[in-house]
Amino acid sequence: MAPEFQTVVHNTQTWLRSSWHIQVPFTWLEACVEWLQEEAGGAGRLSQQQINQQAFDQWLLADLRDLDFPVLPEGIAQARKIELNGTYCVQVDSLLDISQPAYSQLQKLRGTDCANDEVSAVTQATQRPWEAKPSRMLLLQVTDGVQSLEAMEYQSIPALSTALRPGVKLQLNGNMVCRLGMLLLGPSNVKVLGGEVEDLVVRNNQGRVMCRTLGLPEAEEEVSPAPQQGV
Amino acid sequence: IKRVLCVAEKNDAAKGISEIMSNGRFRRREGMSKFNKIYEFEYHLLGQNVTVAMTSVSGHLLALEFKAPFQKWHSCNPVILFDAEVEKYCPDNMVQIKRTLEKEVKQCQLLVIWTDCDREGENIGFEIIDVCKAVKSNIQVLRAKFSEITPNSIRRACSTLTEPDSNVSDAVDVRQELDLRIGASFTRFQTLRLQKIFPESLANQLISYGSCQFPTLGFVVERFKAIQSFIPEDVLQVSVLHEVEEDTVEFSWKRNRLFNHTACLVLYQICMENPIATVTSVTSKPKSKWRPLPLDTVELEKLASRKLKISAKETMKIAEKLYTQGFISYPRTETNIFPKTLALGSLVEEQTQSSVWGTFAQRVLDQPGGPSPRQGKKSDQAHPPIHPTRHSSSLQGNEGRLYEFIVRHFLACVSQDALGQETVVDVDIAQEKFSASGLMIIARNYLDVYPYDRWSTKVIPVYEQGSQFQPTAIEMVDGQTSPPQLLTEADLIALMEKHGIGTDATHAHIETIKSRMYVGLTSDQRFLPGELGMGLVEGYNSMGYEMSKPNLRAELEADLKLVSEGRKDKRSVLGHHIQKYKTVFIESVQKAKKLDEALSPYLGAAQEITEEQQQDM
Ligand SMILES: [Mg+2]
Repeated sequence: MAPEFQTVVHNTQTWLRSSWHIQVPFTWLEACVEWLQEEAGGAGRLSQQQINQQAFDQWLLADLRDLDFPVLPEGIAQARKIELNGTYCVQVDSLLDISQPAYSQLQKLRGTDCANDEVSAVTQATQRPWEAKPSRMLLLQVTDGVQSLEAMEYQSIPALSTALRPGVKLQLNGNMVCRLGMLLLGPSNVKVLGGEVEDLVVRNNQGRVMCRTLGLPEAEEEVSPAPQQGV
Repeated sequence: IKRVLCVAEKNDAAKGISEIMSNGRFRRREGMSKFNKIYEFEYHLLGQNVTVAMTSVSGHLLALEFKAPFQKWHSCNPVILFDAEVEKYCPDNMVQIKRTLEKEVKQCQLLVIWTDCDREGENIGFEIIDVCKAVKSNIQVLRAKFSEITPNSIRRACSTLTEPDSNVSDAVDVRQELDLRIGASFTRFQTLRLQKIFPESLANQLISYGSCQFPTLGFVVERFKAIQSFIPEDVLQVSVLHEVEEDTVEFSWKRNRLFNHTACLVLYQICMENPIATVTSVTSKPKSKWRPLPLDTVELEKLASRKLKISAKETMKIAEKLYTQGFISYPRTETNIFPKTLALGSLVEEQTQSSVWGTFAQRVLDQPGGPSPRQGKKSDQAHPPIHPTRHSSSLQGNEGRLYEFIVRHFLACVSQDALGQETVVDVDIAQEKFSASGLMIIARNYLDVYPYDRWSTKVIPVYEQGSQFQPTAIEMVDGQTSPPQLLTEADLIALMEKHGIGTDATHAHIETIKSRMYVGLTSDQRFLPGELGMGLVEGYNSMGYEMSKPNLRAELEADLKLVSEGRKDKRSVLGHHIQKYKTVFIESVQKAKKLDEALSPYLGAAQEITEEQQQDM
């Protein structure tokens, strides 16, 4: 029984690494698989494939801080400039669009934005053509569980949105530059794996992040209902 | 028909119309009111030679009031005022005018109404008709339709006399009755209550309520609160300067601005490590600045307020005067499309006499195709856009300035757009994108006559696509977001128009809020809510009826329009809105404590009142 269990865990660890580039500590995975088998009604009830998938789902919902397993290069947040090349699975603790004032975003979110604020008597406002609407730039607080840093949407990344749940897992991939603790991301660098972290969903919802940015008391902002799990 | 009684809305108009109809050969008599003369002359009307007696009223001849038992403030519970009987009566200062009409009409066989051709004018017409018919029931009645007091327009009106329009008049009756009932009930309720609750600040204060006035006040308070609750944020930009000989070209960042210091600093550093700009594109395309649209009332009020610093109320007073003197067309119009039938050429020709803009007027006549108005989208089917009808170089002061504005606006809108060529240069520095533009004005066209608009040349040196240069400076610039500004009168008019309230007498409501403790003006003529105004709006908002929001009033005004078009019935509209406001009133009285609560932060502690006292109100 015991060596067999070790093999199952080992297989899952290999599968996570080869399919998703996810690295987890063996002890965490052991506890996870044991729990999965218990829930299923005993060892042998689940196929290796089912265990793999369910372990992945558990990882998506885990707070990577609890795993305590570093994957990002050491000292990355302190470096003036560092280039990365590889695949790193990280967690997004919170995110905010920094191309617009947090104040107007908060008003829009609360439905207290007022169209009258923009009315003025000037009938023919001519907009200068190169002052086109600024495009969104998301700023993400990311962590691998050990090191935290910021990441910015350097080039537009359609896969990201402010609707992502705090705690969502991303797979970062390819050539990336990190300056002053800020990772510069483009569309080819990011794959959204899914998931969330329960208490981050409450603590870091959009309303609270905006309030924090503005130095306002963090009112109990509504949390939108959870979307489907997984990829 | 031997003798015809004509009645205009004001003495000036009666005189002007008489001058035209009689070719200046009228006989002037006194009426019983010393301000309203009688002008007599012979005229050929409806195929007959008749004697015309032209006189006037001074605006509304009758007023609406509650019947005697309900007139005193303490006579009844204010809620009764939604159903109490009302009647029209002739106020003391109008009695002599009424007597003149009664006396004159007895000798006439035909009554022709010459009041202004708008809703109020139509209603005044019916007041005249009612007074005349009361003493001579078989009098024939016709209506003259005109937009200007000019020979063409007046003669056309004489040859196309029509029936007065009772639908239009009905709409005014409905509005008057609603304003009376809603205004009196709420005004009595809040005044009597608040005088007792805040005796120190409000003992002798009339606290008026009007269904248009309050939403107007609501806009002022809303803006003030938006400013109060605003939180400024730091904002950062990367800016690029390039000095080329004398000129400094400023390139702006395509990302515009960011609200995070590190993010901006990172991008700035990237640029600084490789500070060579590559020109990615140079485009040049024609750009025009549009000549203004034909002028309607709201636009006139807004522009006069912004450009001439003449208030809406003053503007309309002057415009009415210019109209009755025959200098401009009727200034109350919602139309910004010139009708095909209007001979623009001769109107422009008239202005060629001017030593100031005469040359420009000639240019308009000489341009290919002649005068060509830029057309708007609105028409009230009653009056053309406001335009000059006669040249004058003798008008003084604000009258002269407003007349000049109307002429210049008219000439501008029938001339040609200003033309220019815009050049946009896009550059790339370490993959960050920046842009600069230049403008060359090719033909000023309408701008030559319209100093109220500005458009200036912006020089940009020649850049070649693919070329590179070293910017003189790349800087990270920081700033702060700023709140919206307090409303100007022009902003307020724009807001009222947007929400569909106050189309009839926009300025009146602005004056009523100005003249009470509701709003004050800052030194740069912006509206600042007063404590009473703030408290009342907050109080009503906290009741949840949004009494200070424009919706109820906008529905009312939309229904009035339908009545005037004969598409809704007077009785049902009246009943519907009385019921609606009555419901709101009853609930407001029940929740009256909320008014006290909202006001006490401003006016001090609320005075306790007993049940009994409350009944008393
Ligand atoms: Mg009038």
